[in-house]
Amino acid sequence: MSRGPLLGELAVLDDVGPPRRGRAYPAAGVSWALLAPAVLLLGGLLAWPVLRTVHASVTTDGRWVGVEHYRAALAAPGTAAVIGRTLLWALLVPTVVTVLGYLLAAASRRSQEGWLVRLILVVPTALPLVVTGVTFRLLYDPDPERGLATLLLARVTGRDPEQLPQLLGPDLVTVAVMSAFVWAWVGLAMLVFRAALDAVPTGLVDAVRAFGGTRRDVLWDAQWRPLLLRTVAVVFALVAVGTSRTFDLILVMTPGSVRDEAAVLSLRIWQTSGATTTGEGAALGVVWLVAVTAGMLVVALFVRQAWPPPQQPAGSAVTASPPRRLVRLLAAGAAIAWLLPLGVLAATSLQNPVRAATGGWWSGPPGLDSYRAVLGGAELWRSLGFTLVLAVVVTAAVLGVALLAAYPLAWLTGPAAQVTGLVLMAAVVVPVQVIAGPLNEVLGLALSSGTARGVALVHIALGVPFAVLVLRNSFADLPAEQVRGARIGGRHWWGTLRRLARHNRTALVAVAVLEFVQVWNDLVVGLLFSGPDAAPLGLFLAWQTRGFVAGSGTLAAGCVLASILPVLVFVLARRQVVAGLVAGGVR
Amino acid sequence: MTGVGLRRRTLLGAAAAATVAAAGGCGQGRRSVQVAVVWAGGELARFREVVAGYPTTVQVVGVGNDIDAFLTARRAAGTSPDVAILPRPGLVVEYARRGWLSEVAPAVSYTAPAGMSDLLSVAGRRYGVWVKAAHKSLFWHFPSTLTEPPRSWDALVSLTRRLGERHRAGAGPAPLAIGAADGWVLTDWFENVLGDVADVDLYEALARGEADWRSRPVQYALERLAELWSVDGAFPGGGRRALLTQFEESIIQVVYHREAAMVFGADFVDAVVARFRRGTEPLATFRFPGARVADQPLIVGGDAAVAFAGSSDGAELVRWLSDAVAFLPWLDAGGYLSPNLAVPVDSYRDPLRRRLAGELRAADTVQFDLSDQLPGTFTGTDGVGIWRIMQDFFMNVTDGVPAREAVRRATGQLAEAARATAGGGR
Repeated sequence: MSRGPLLGELAVLDDVGPPRRGRAYPAAGVSWALLAPAVLLLGGLLAWPVLRTVHASVTTDGRWVGVEHYRAALAAPGTAAVIGRTLLWALLVPTVVTVLGYLLAAASRRSQEGWLVRLILVVPTALPLVVTGVTFRLLYDPDPERGLATLLLARVTGRDPEQLPQLLGPDLVTVAVMSAFVWAWVGLAMLVFRAALDAVPTGLVDAVRAFGGTRRDVLWDAQWRPLLLRTVAVVFALVAVGTSRTFDLILVMTPGSVRDEAAVLSLRIWQTSGATTTGEGAALGVVWLVAVTAGMLVVALFVRQAWPPPQQPAGSAVTASPPRRLVRLLAAGAAIAWLLPLGVLAATSLQNPVRAATGGWWSGPPGLDSYRAVLGGAELWRSLGFTLVLAVVVTAAVLGVALLAAYPLAWLTGPAAQVTGLVLMAAVVVPVQVIAGPLNEVLGLALSSGTARGVALVHIALGVPFAVLVLRNSFADLPAEQVRGARIGGRHWWGTLRRLARHNRTALVAVAVLEFVQVWNDLVVGLLFSGPDAAPLGLFLAWQTRGFVAGSGTLAAGCVLASILPVLVFVLARRQVVAGLVAGGVR
Repeated sequence: MTGVGLRRRTLLGAAAAATVAAAGGCGQGRRSVQVAVVWAGGELARFREVVAGYPTTVQVVGVGNDIDAFLTARRAAGTSPDVAILPRPGLVVEYARRGWLSEVAPAVSYTAPAGMSDLLSVAGRRYGVWVKAAHKSLFWHFPSTLTEPPRSWDALVSLTRRLGERHRAGAGPAPLAIGAADGWVLTDWFENVLGDVADVDLYEALARGEADWRSRPVQYALERLAELWSVDGAFPGGGRRALLTQFEESIIQVVYHREAAMVFGADFVDAVVARFRRGTEPLATFRFPGARVADQPLIVGGDAAVAFAGSSDGAELVRWLSDAVAFLPWLDAGGYLSPNLAVPVDSYRDPLRRRLAGELRAADTVQFDLSDQLPGTFTGTDGVGIWRIMQDFFMNVTDGVPAREAVRRATGQLAEAARATAGGGR
């Protein structure tokens, strides 16, 4: 693919440094100007609030109190259980998602119906977590006349409804919330594994077979050791970071009486502080921040290598046999199981509001009354419109800021590049609940606290680190010829940037799609920062769960309407998303 | 966050927070007055009709469930509204102590019940006026299922035992529906019993954080609740199921499924009844039964209007809202109970509210919702504060924990929470 450079070419283009980095850079003065927007945003809306949180955790009204807040927060009843549950989430759930993701990727490979299986599995990935929560709460309703899972349990165990284990009850609620999370995330894991499996050179498999290797040898020597180990680490880390999003699910799925039995650190911090700064909340936040960042750095150092191998194996024609019948059945079964909750949501939305509140989704003929009720009111429309504008504006702003910043950063090499990478990585994983109080103080200074402007600013600040990371890596990975072409063709740095961006279309699409879907699906930013002129969709839906059963018809209809756009966008762009992710985001 | 307004909003499926009434609609010559309210949906529309009668343009902003977070953020940004309608007096006191509010003078005709008016004053200065009340001492039932309502607490307990036994035999509905998944339902139960067994001084001292939650009357009130809640077959599906039942669902159990004979709730239950009732039989109500037939407890909730510091327009609007005639459009539309005793009982079109307004005037003592007065996080929200403590208590007594032990745990938790929030909460 890449040819050797001609003699003198390097000097002409100032193209020094390691071969895979350091070709696309502007003049030093311009660099700072390009970095300024990103630095301002991250400094003001991430770094400063983090410092302020640390400060608040050791002071009361500016007075030094040492570890008093930490002691109080850790001694509060239930804190140990909350921390234990958070750890369980960060370890158990990623394991399950990784294993399931691999199995399904392997099972749905190279079979005819595989694409359908994959499509079904990917849809939950794009749903707002609020919608996922609503769906599973409908499925797990404790009344066997309304909840399908409870009905099946009653049939299988033959027990009286009063004696049945309650899926949303205090004992099982964490399992219930975890199952919803796994349902939502397996699709993404499967896509990444599939990309990895496709990148395994088939020649290697043939070689192992030729030497008399068994199936296990093929898995171990031709897949696990060259590639899968790293992929597993990547997926595990992605999901572990993702578990900090359980906040949305817990808020939506748990009735007030069992919320404490499901609480994790993010929820506890929110319960303690809301959108203000308190000593105890800050102390818990710092504990969490340190744990998340440390975990992230360990993983980052572990998987820093190029992944998957940059060059495609030549002639990777399908030579291996399609998977066995049993495996294919397994994939089909998984697809049906994954489709079921979607079916429950759709069927509930097709009951009229009274029937949805008083019986199961199977109890009456379908109709559109719930949709009529929710579309007839102005609130959903206002919310949809606001969220659309917000998502588009934020996506455009993030792309702009990140593109400008990624361009000079891609020029860095060696330790400087690694350090920026790690800093960005740490910025990606800062949980917004931790810094909500200080963030509101900063927004107050900018006169945008509790306004749409404030919500947009927070979204942009939270989205920029990841976008910069992906774009920086993909800029740095551009083949030498393309960089050369851009530098010769573009008269100024912005001409070069434009040309380079054109070569990076996949990464740009990935960043845009992920950012759009993220803002559209958000609950927590809206909950913490929105004001009266700004009720994003997630918040609009989450409010209605306060009267869950009574409003389940219109709620389900609202959920279906809210899910259409993100699912469409994500499904259509899933190839680019995965390609963009593996090209830059997960290194 | 446990105010009546909030509960009512919750009820109405209240999603509608983000509403800016035609921003920029400045009155001719004078600037418009901005009001942040907790109401949404139908209530928001009614309130707009009310302020349409005000000489200056009033911009009404519905801010949804967490008005505290909204106002705190606005305060930080220096863009506080002129007036806010707050769902609990605890907030009024907190804001006044922080110096956010300006003193207000109500209209001459304004007369709030004795138990309510003091709650909005700090150090002898009045910082708010009551604009809406909720009657929280009501049971709802179908007359055909329950022909003779109990007149005393003991009668309620024996009725529950009798119906519970019949229910376990599969011969009739359970006696009580209860939305124990919403902590405020349980605190309302507790407050009614406490208001009955404790004297006014203790009740108010508890609200101010000056009394001991381990005192005998608190224990006694909890023992009474344990006596009733631990009745076998008291709730459809049992206690575990009740803990996953939200308030509205508990009403549906009575008015749609008829799985339960009665439900305890406030006057705003009628909004849910209207949506889910099956058949044409109207629901009847009876007062929360007390120890004595004559002297039943009366617990009320309410929404208060406050003006923010530096806004003279705001103080003027608050004064206007406190006038007896200001809320006439809402009175005519129904679903509104006025805290202002100067509003003539005859002006209520809605027969239920007319009766409740009469009770409000006749009661010897009107007690205000206790949990709404508690400071900081003690006031309760899902999984937090007194909501959580009462849910733990409910879980214990329905799960066979001996009443004495359950009461001991609950009073311990209450005292601990009171101690932790004594420093002014968050």
